[in-house]
Amino acid sequence: MSRSAARDGRPEVVVSGLGIVSPYGAGVKSFWNGLAAGTCAIKPITVIETEGFRSRIAAEIPAEVIGALGSSRRRSRADRIALAAAHEALADAGLEGAARTDAALLVGAVGGGMLEGENWYWEIARGRPSSRMGALRSILPFSHAETLGWRLGLTGPKETVVMACASGAASIALGADLIRAGVTPTALVGGVDALTHICFMGFNALKLLDPTPCRPFDRERRGMSIGEGAAFLVIEDAAHCRARGGRVHARLAGYGMTTDAHHVTAPHPEGEGMIHAMQQALDASGLDARDVGYVNAHGTGTPQNDRAEALALRRVFGEGGVLVSSTKSLVGHTMAAAGSVEAAATILALQHGLLPPTANLEQVDPDVPFDCLPVVARPAEVTAALSNSFGFGGQNVSLIFQKRLP
Amino acid sequence: MTDRRVVVTGIGTVNAATAGGRDALAGALALGRSTIGPVRAFDTAALSSRLGAEVDEATFASLVDRDAARRLSRICRLALGACLLAVRDAEVAGGPGLGIVVGTEHGDFTSSRDFAHGFLRRGPAGLSPMIFPNTVMNTMASIAAIAIGAKAPSVTVNQATLAGDLAVARGARLVADGRADAVVAGGVDELFHDVYERLAQMGALSPMGGRGTEGCRPFAADHNGPVLGEGATFLVLEERETARARGARIIAEIAATAWGNLPVAPHTGRPGRKDPGSPVARLIRARGKAGVARCYGAGNGDPVVDDWERALLGRDLAAPDDLVPPVSLAPLFGQHGGLGALRVGAAALDAARGTSAVLVHGIARGGCRTALVVEPAS
Repeated sequence: MSRSAARDGRPEVVVSGLGIVSPYGAGVKSFWNGLAAGTCAIKPITVIETEGFRSRIAAEIPAEVIGALGSSRRRSRADRIALAAAHEALADAGLEGAARTDAALLVGAVGGGMLEGENWYWEIARGRPSSRMGALRSILPFSHAETLGWRLGLTGPKETVVMACASGAASIALGADLIRAGVTPTALVGGVDALTHICFMGFNALKLLDPTPCRPFDRERRGMSIGEGAAFLVIEDAAHCRARGGRVHARLAGYGMTTDAHHVTAPHPEGEGMIHAMQQALDASGLDARDVGYVNAHGTGTPQNDRAEALALRRVFGEGGVLVSSTKSLVGHTMAAAGSVEAAATILALQHGLLPPTANLEQVDPDVPFDCLPVVARPAEVTAALSNSFGFGGQNVSLIFQKRLP
Repeated sequence: MTDRRVVVTGIGTVNAATAGGRDALAGALALGRSTIGPVRAFDTAALSSRLGAEVDEATFASLVDRDAARRLSRICRLALGACLLAVRDAEVAGGPGLGIVVGTEHGDFTSSRDFAHGFLRRGPAGLSPMIFPNTVMNTMASIAAIAIGAKAPSVTVNQATLAGDLAVARGARLVADGRADAVVAGGVDELFHDVYERLAQMGALSPMGGRGTEGCRPFAADHNGPVLGEGATFLVLEERETARARGARIIAEIAATAWGNLPVAPHTGRPGRKDPGSPVARLIRARGKAGVARCYGAGNGDPVVDDWERALLGRDLAAPDDLVPPVSLAPLFGQHGGLGALRVGAAALDAARGTSAVLVHGIARGGCRTALVVEPAS
């Protein structure tokens, strides 16, 4: 069940475009500047009521950033950030003509346009008339793919992948499968999620949110901090990219996807599925664990996730065998977008030779025997890095990116 | 490197007509009786739409362990019941080689409503941590993966009209690519009052705001909208040599799959619009053989979908007069996320009886288009 990029006669896959709207702002540049500076974007929530909840913070995209995106205010918040990120990725890749229109489109999504749907529902349920029923048309997750496919004029395979917090990473892996199978040479892949009442209230109900900004891998960690964002990658058959003179950000060297089949919300206590996902990705890349210099961890900050992920990392890389950080401590857990946001962070870290830190990390949990890059970004020339994304339902996706050497 | 070949080795279905494996589905199709009738689960008196194809609780109550069932939402039980039936029909084992792909259009809105109601009634104290996970659409896949021991990829795809078709196509891709040796793939949706009511109010269901008689009449001159159904249908897709080696009862082969997009505004269709990248044309070209012997379509009575599908297939097929309009199963089972998988299941049963090549086609408002070719196993 492993993939062998380029070694099995199938196309090698490279990343040729990046686009992001994050809590730092719109654009890859602001995203990287925020990560490199170690700026924690987790603050009090403004878009939904938080009175009475245990945690009242999140990494929100500032109102002025949303307002400046340019797309119609009638679109859902999630559609607007998805469009901006997708436009940036396509422009960055410089795709034109058939290479662009034939591209596949895979969107990782969970919340859809639920925020606007909830506003309608809140009014109706409280006995007030509402003029917002039109918002229901974009409430489902597939609305993003419909909007993007239409506005960007894409004609390739179109899918909406709902795999909880692994959705964005899964869209990258499944899109790469289409390229490797020769279905299409190019794909626009990524994830998007905006804050919603249901997500905020649900994780509060599960007591998985830290009342203070999350502290992944810290001994005193008390949960995660939610966030919102959109990140899209243009991935491409390497030969196709080379032939058109496209720029390569990184090579998608390998990826693995597994399921715990253990519990609906809790990870396997020994990290069994996580281990297999990382091992699959390594096998597919042809790399040894020692070749991987950095792991952008799923690292939510919940006691259970971080413990299981540390166990899995120890099994794959050995104690202290790799540098680890969680960018969720900086931009929050962006849910369906997290996998693609963190894939972008991993690629940018390779490009810049600078590893983003784990913010708010003061006392590393002794059960996490790794250098988790506390507080300050660290210069390091690594040539391969792995990004982990795990989701409710025991869904595990590991992606390995490799720097393209000159 | 060529793709691995993919065969269908099992079927499980829980629909308004029956619950069971390949024989149950074959029986329901042979009977050809519509299950559409007045909705009984909730009051539709104030709505312009009143019909549906409902699954009786008794039909599937025995499929899921009673203790487990108490903790599961209805849509999870529908999905789980059909997955268990499919796995039983195929006699396939769980493990690292087994994956799952679930297609759904609406997911578990019942749980989303119940979760929100808890808050509206009692504030933060009314929120149920047990219900919240169900609000994420992949919970049906998660529950089923645990039950059948699926440790290869577990994927949920969300799509209007074609959720089941797309799930089967993606499942076949996972097997062909070697990501799994077997995949349980299909779709599920349930009839839920709030969704039904909103769609009726938006004029998305027959009789679409009151024009004509309510009913599901795909491709007919007086078609005036879909009628919602519910249920779950899953197929077991398996790598051919693995299936042969274990002595599986192979039903048919998924010979080819393709899907694409016609860029139109969300929720709209343009029956006059051509499709230069037609997945049907691509499949026919790739197969190097002309024509298909039978064609199932996604036409469900929605005039936009029906007319668009008829026009697209008319351009794509070599002998359109024999195949257009395609066969629609929506009048039998109602429109729901499992219907696409049910179409592929019907095509597999046709192929098992010797029909040379069966095309399962789909087009949805918003432009998603799917095509699968099902052939007798060789």
